[in-house]
Amino acid sequence: MLQHLAGGQEVVEVTGHTTGECLEDLEGRFPGIKQQLRDKREQLRTYCCILVNSESTYPKELTTPVKDGDQIDIVIFIAGG
Amino acid sequence: MLTKNDLTRYERQILYTGFGEEGQKRLKQSHVVVAGLGGLGCSASLYLTCTGIGHVTLIDCDRVELSNLNRQILHYEEDIGEGKPISAARKLAKLNSSIEVTPVSKKITERNAREIIRGANLVIDGMDNFKSRFIINKACVAEGIPFIHGGVHGLFGEVTTILPGRTPCLSCIFPEVPQRKVAFPVFGVTPALIAILQVTEAIKLLAGFGSLLTGKMLYFNGDTMDFTFCNLVKNQNCKVCGTKEG
Repeated sequence: MLQHLAGGQEVVEVTGHTTGECLEDLEGRFPGIKQQLRDKREQLRTYCCILVNSESTYPKELTTPVKDGDQIDIVIFIAGG
Repeated sequence: MLTKNDLTRYERQILYTGFGEEGQKRLKQSHVVVAGLGGLGCSASLYLTCTGIGHVTLIDCDRVELSNLNRQILHYEEDIGEGKPISAARKLAKLNSSIEVTPVSKKITERNAREIIRGANLVIDGMDNFKSRFIINKACVAEGIPFIHGGVHGLFGEVTTILPGRTPCLSCIFPEVPQRKVAFPVFGVTPALIAILQVTEAIKLLAGFGSLLTGKMLYFNGDTMDFTFCNLVKNQNCKVCGTKEG
């Protein structure tokens, strides 16, 4: 659901030492993504979660350390039926 | 035991390698609960019925509205105002009179969820909100019943199969129940497609063949016609299905 905001790219390379820094890098390069991911208080929206190498980062979604080569997935819960 | 009618009716699927008469018998002996009779639940229950699931239970507390008819294909104009489970069950009984269809007009709550699904072989997610999904997810884990999650938004959809205790549940991925209460956009084709994927999973799981969408979420993007996957790992600290104490 974010792909169209990233120029159609499914995978984007980002830099940072933590998930939060990587997210900021992504948000800086693709304006519009931030609004989808963050609420008014800059917190991650409750229907978004961040996985590092498929593992949940909860409750440290924005502070989990990452290293070169890690895969960060942004998962948006789709709730309509 | 399959009857002569069953052998004729399901002839073309019985021909499928790895399924056969034994697979059909297993479907006939199965009880599937469809939680929610909106876009997902209507399409899912239609295909569960025509494929010969022996007992299908339909749960929803809403009544049919005009705005449902772009996607909820078991409800017709003449059904507006009627309870969704009754409306759907009437059509399904005409489609396949050899199976049992049980309509349940109830709201799914923390108090009644386990009782509603108890004894079923699996539950199909046809719900349209976070809260009910997480209630059913928890109830399925508690009862040890497989849960096939589906969700849609516009032309986007997602599916995963949850085997309690063995594969990640919804709370492994979203430890807190997400909050979002706005009407979502949707074309009828999106829940139809996602529901058919859910039923495909149900058939394989019940009959015991093929591989399942466990430990991964399948995403469908109808805008670009892409199917992608995201791997999911069980959270040992999960409040619903985790194994770690405290």
